[in-house]
Amino acid sequence: MAALRTSTSRLLASTRPHAFRSAIAARNYATVEPVSAAAEAMSASQPPVSPKKTSTIHEQGQSPEARTKTFHIYRWSPDTPSQKPKMQSYTLDLNKTGPMMLDALIRIKNEVDPTLTFRRSCREGICGSCAMNIDGVNTLACLCRIPSDTSHESRIYPLPHTYVVKDLVPDLTQFYKQYKSIKPYLQRETKSEDGLEIRQSPADRKKLDGLYECILCACCSTSCPSYWWNSEEYLGPAVLMQSYRWLADSRDEHKAERKAMLDNSMSLYRCHTILNCSRTCPKGLNPGKAIAEIKKTMAFT
Amino acid sequence: MAAQRTFTKQAIPKSMTSNFRGQSIVTHSSPFKPSTLSITQITTFRVADFHTSSRRHILPAGPQVINGTANDPAPVPQPSPTHGSYHWAFERLISAALIPLTVAPFAAGTLNPVTDAILCATLLIHSHIGFQALIIDYLPNRRVPKTRALFMWALRAGTLLVGVGLYEFETNDVGLTEAIKRIWTA
Repeated sequence: MAALRTSTSRLLASTRPHAFRSAIAARNYATVEPVSAAAEAMSASQPPVSPKKTSTIHEQGQSPEARTKTFHIYRWSPDTPSQKPKMQSYTLDLNKTGPMMLDALIRIKNEVDPTLTFRRSCREGICGSCAMNIDGVNTLACLCRIPSDTSHESRIYPLPHTYVVKDLVPDLTQFYKQYKSIKPYLQRETKSEDGLEIRQSPADRKKLDGLYECILCACCSTSCPSYWWNSEEYLGPAVLMQSYRWLADSRDEHKAERKAMLDNSMSLYRCHTILNCSRTCPKGLNPGKAIAEIKKTMAFT
Repeated sequence: MAAQRTFTKQAIPKSMTSNFRGQSIVTHSSPFKPSTLSITQITTFRVADFHTSSRRHILPAGPQVINGTANDPAPVPQPSPTHGSYHWAFERLISAALIPLTVAPFAAGTLNPVTDAILCATLLIHSHIGFQALIIDYLPNRRVPKTRALFMWALRAGTLLVGVGLYEFETNDVGLTEAIKRIWTA
């Protein structure tokens, strides 16, 4: 891994664009070297080949009273990295499918196309694995009902502006690394008075409600334009809410250090309070409020 | 992660490199491009083809960059309250101050050069901070450092120019609030 890193950084340094090249002038040209071609294919922010230009895979053995619904699903395989991502269409009979989007995906994988790739685990909104962009909204496939209107065609993409590993599987390495950087654990030197548990009043415990429930599915972070543009430095709503979860914890003794970690122009203050995070959260939490609370505590203490 | 691995010399499997070559030759055959690319050459090539249909990306996604291994925490920047919490508090203070400052001269119906001057200064700082936030958001230092510096200096020059202009307008002409009053009733 270390060996790979050095050659990568050298590689990136040599392709670093000059002042005007990348942002303004060069984007009108086709850049054809393989590095950018692959990076383009792997970025979910690039438009995939439209479903009109791809085939539709139909379910076998349609019954006459079938309620057939079409699903357009983003496909890209690392085995063919130079092929542009495309939207593959599938039809399913809703009478034979469970109520949730994840049921539809599992059914497509089991019965129609086994090459379809997605993450799933608990199928009840606890693990956060099946986060994806369904009909334009970041949500958990297991908590998202299939709209029963069969004339409406559903579109499923990976989380926006993530690097795609395959199909609907995004690479969340940076997201997890950022989570690790905020030290998401109790930091405390002193022991409690009786040397047993570190106790907390019910009122203090109540402050953590709405914060600890986060399952780190990355729906909110990947819905945030600030996080799209600056995910290398801006922590994003999910990680900031977890940061606040430890700032709000009465038992934690490293609050000053935690605040100092956020006290720069990028980590926290790229949030411009557009509240996409609170709007999209599939668990109904409010990262926007948590970020506002951090800003308040940092400003007036 | 996967992206980055793909880009490294050691990590590119034979099948993938042949795919890359095939793609670059077949889909974008260019007179400027050598027909065979070695992996080491790839790093420095940036060939502009003349396409009839231009691709317009807002910000084309660059290759994925991961610092350290997957198990290392993301680097934490040095604390700098002047760009962090102090900056934020100052920004909010200026924004909040603008509300009474805008209303006061018209509500009171008097034209005071001092309130006018304070209003102009606050407006100037407010818009400077706003544009600065735009530049920080959209021109990241790690990707376009020179463009970033250029825009920052252009912003400073612009703010200075507007400041001088406002000063001239206040001293040699009717002043900001009076001008707005006249335009309003014109």
